[in-house]
Amino acid sequence: MSVVTESDAPPIAPPPGRIIGGPGRFVRWFSDTGWRHVVALLTLAFALFPVLWVISGSFTDGNLSSQTLIPKNPTLDNYRKLLTDPGHPPYWSWFKNSMIVGVATSLLTVALAAAAAFAFSRLRFKGRRPGLLALLLIQMFPAMLAMTALYLLMLTLKNIYPAIGLGTIWGLILIYLGGALGVNTWLMKGFFDTIPIELDESAKVDGATHAEIYFKIVLPLAAPVLAVIGLLSFINTQAEYLLASIMLRGSEQKMTLAVGLNQYISQGFDSQWGPFAAGALIGAIPVVVLFLFLQRFIVSGLTAGAVKG
Amino acid sequence: MVAKYVVLIVLNGIVLSGITAMIEQKAWGLMAGVLISIIALDVVYFSPRRFIPGKYLVPGTIFLVFFAVFPVIYTLYISFTNYGTGNILSKPTAVTTIQLSSLEPPTATSKTYGLQVMAEGGVTGPIAFFLTDPATSTEELGLLDGLQPVDPAKVKRDADRVTGYGDYVSLNLSQANDRTVIIEAFAVPTGNGTAIRAEGFRKARELRQRLQFDSAADTMTDTVTGTVYRPKDGYFVSEAGEQLTPGWRTVIGLGNFQKVFNDPNIRDPFIRVFIWTFLFALLSVVVTFTLGLLLAMVFNSPKMKLKPMYRSLVIIPYALPSFMTALVWKGMLNDTFGVVNRYLDTLFGITVPWLSDPFWAKVSLLLVNLWLGFPYMFLICTGALQGIPTDLTEAARVDGATGAKAFRKVTFPLLLVAVSPLLISSFAFNFNNFNLVKLLTNGGPPFSGGSSAGQTDILISYTYNLAFGSARGADYGLASAISVFIFIVVAAISAISFKFTRTFEEVK
Repeated sequence: MSVVTESDAPPIAPPPGRIIGGPGRFVRWFSDTGWRHVVALLTLAFALFPVLWVISGSFTDGNLSSQTLIPKNPTLDNYRKLLTDPGHPPYWSWFKNSMIVGVATSLLTVALAAAAAFAFSRLRFKGRRPGLLALLLIQMFPAMLAMTALYLLMLTLKNIYPAIGLGTIWGLILIYLGGALGVNTWLMKGFFDTIPIELDESAKVDGATHAEIYFKIVLPLAAPVLAVIGLLSFINTQAEYLLASIMLRGSEQKMTLAVGLNQYISQGFDSQWGPFAAGALIGAIPVVVLFLFLQRFIVSGLTAGAVKG
Repeated sequence: MVAKYVVLIVLNGIVLSGITAMIEQKAWGLMAGVLISIIALDVVYFSPRRFIPGKYLVPGTIFLVFFAVFPVIYTLYISFTNYGTGNILSKPTAVTTIQLSSLEPPTATSKTYGLQVMAEGGVTGPIAFFLTDPATSTEELGLLDGLQPVDPAKVKRDADRVTGYGDYVSLNLSQANDRTVIIEAFAVPTGNGTAIRAEGFRKARELRQRLQFDSAADTMTDTVTGTVYRPKDGYFVSEAGEQLTPGWRTVIGLGNFQKVFNDPNIRDPFIRVFIWTFLFALLSVVVTFTLGLLLAMVFNSPKMKLKPMYRSLVIIPYALPSFMTALVWKGMLNDTFGVVNRYLDTLFGITVPWLSDPFWAKVSLLLVNLWLGFPYMFLICTGALQGIPTDLTEAARVDGATGAKAFRKVTFPLLLVAVSPLLISSFAFNFNNFNLVKLLTNGGPPFSGGSSAGQTDILISYTYNLAFGSARGADYGLASAISVFIFIVVAAISAISFKFTRTFEEVK
């Protein structure tokens, strides 16, 4: 009884050891930390099974209904089919579109948000505080809530500036940039505030302009934060489905991975499974790599409140 | 510096290039917005040493206003209109369309024209009629909005045949044949109660419109029966209630909101969707948080080895793009082919209708959301647990609290304070978790009776279906009205969240 209670209790300072050697030692080890490894392994099984399943699916020669966890005849056919078969969807176009959307959105987001954050952090002007509050209020409402309005706006824009209207990835990027200010500006402003203002002042004494202070002092010192915010916004664009699907409906060549792969697999889960698994894995690589690289920033307070999509 | 001016000049050029199109389309609001933006940019960047904050703020603000603020206001506006399939057109276009669809059959006195079918800019462009009056040999160009006089200098001829006019190219018989449906429906209004329609590809007839529009009285009159149709909520309606189609888009006041409360075909699914949205968001937070916290406690043992490895593997579900994992789960939970049912069948001899049964579809959503979300909860709970000073729990123990009691009275309350803002934002996120619902269940299975909502639809996917998903056509007005409900809920959640974090007070 006492053993069981101890193991159920929350982890606190370990009690002093009493039993040394023999099978008792294993029981003690197990009641103290061993069972934690059992829980950990069960959790890993739950967490990783779907991942292993899709990896195995991508190497399986056959359909979803006949797939086994260890492929019977491992093959690269799915990759070959998806990437080179003329009858298959334009996977590389989707991949390329996703990359263009992600890179352009993140670079421009950082540029726009950093400039605004500099103004809010370093300059004093009328409307500064209301401006900050307005940003806070506006960013509460994700763009996707206004999907009908965005669709009709882009429909009108299409007739006037066809290159950035409905059905183009550049139009999609514009929509994503509507969210560039907002939470990003707040995060950057918070960081800019920690850069000592004495640096600016001494530069000003030496005759530096505001642009020189911004580009030569503040931006270089804030480079890590800018990189993190840029990469996070890249990750967010990769998984965005709603706006991408209404903006890029109809033209298969212009779809992003999220829209294209969904359309592809919806034609038949059983028969399309293998190539889909291959495509999903390739598409996930950039995001997973970035994510693991950024782990500590995502977990830390930097993004407190921001939940990945 | 030079680059800055080059960019500005290019931008000005791009904006100006769209002005004529905006005037043609009567897109006055857009034109005002675009002009104000470019003027703001020019003023701010072409005046050295002035408007310094503007130089940093204007570009981002333009995007913010165009693609974040304006859409919200526009959504509100659309929610008060009948915009949608059947009411897409503007009123003048709807009037023309109604009249053109009421053309009477030709009579002996119907005037005949010689016809050459043309298309603007190429054989697939918009159709136009090049008409020749056989009596006077007058040539005219017939477009959807009326007849235009022809400039003889621009007419291209090959012998007797007209081969083109300005940008318009003539279609030969096989090219015209490819577009028969469009040509047959094409009619040129003449402006005096008649319209010209093709009869074959070589001849056109001027036909009387049975319905005549009186612009002074704003009524439509049937010249045969004498019925008068008056405008009501975007349609011409007769005394007897007969409606002419198509309608036009117009402000109808609170009609969409009234539908949500009064029309049983919309109210019932809406209420179900509304309840399920809350339930889904709440249960998602509860189950992910519970599992995350339990795991964090299990892993929070100083003696345990391999923790870093476990941690980096456990967060993999969270690192993968959610659109992809939702689809992978959809495959795994497939009723017939899915691995989950195959294993269940082998092990226990049972199968579960994961995605086709209303109850199990909801369970599936929560299960997959648990899988997607527990790593995040695990990470933040681990952080929060480590942030709680151990002397507090030790003090509780010294005072005689058991492990469980110390947890309940000391650790858990402190942890909750630390993570509650994140729990609220997680609730807000799941409230609008479109990706998961759309990609895993697509809102299905449907309610019986062919409703536009499915059993697992949440408000945002319901909005999407109304605006873009339904086979019955789009209802932008109603979709926007539902969006307004989501706005209200999101605002309420944010208000609570601000109260927790006191962000407003911190604004310096």
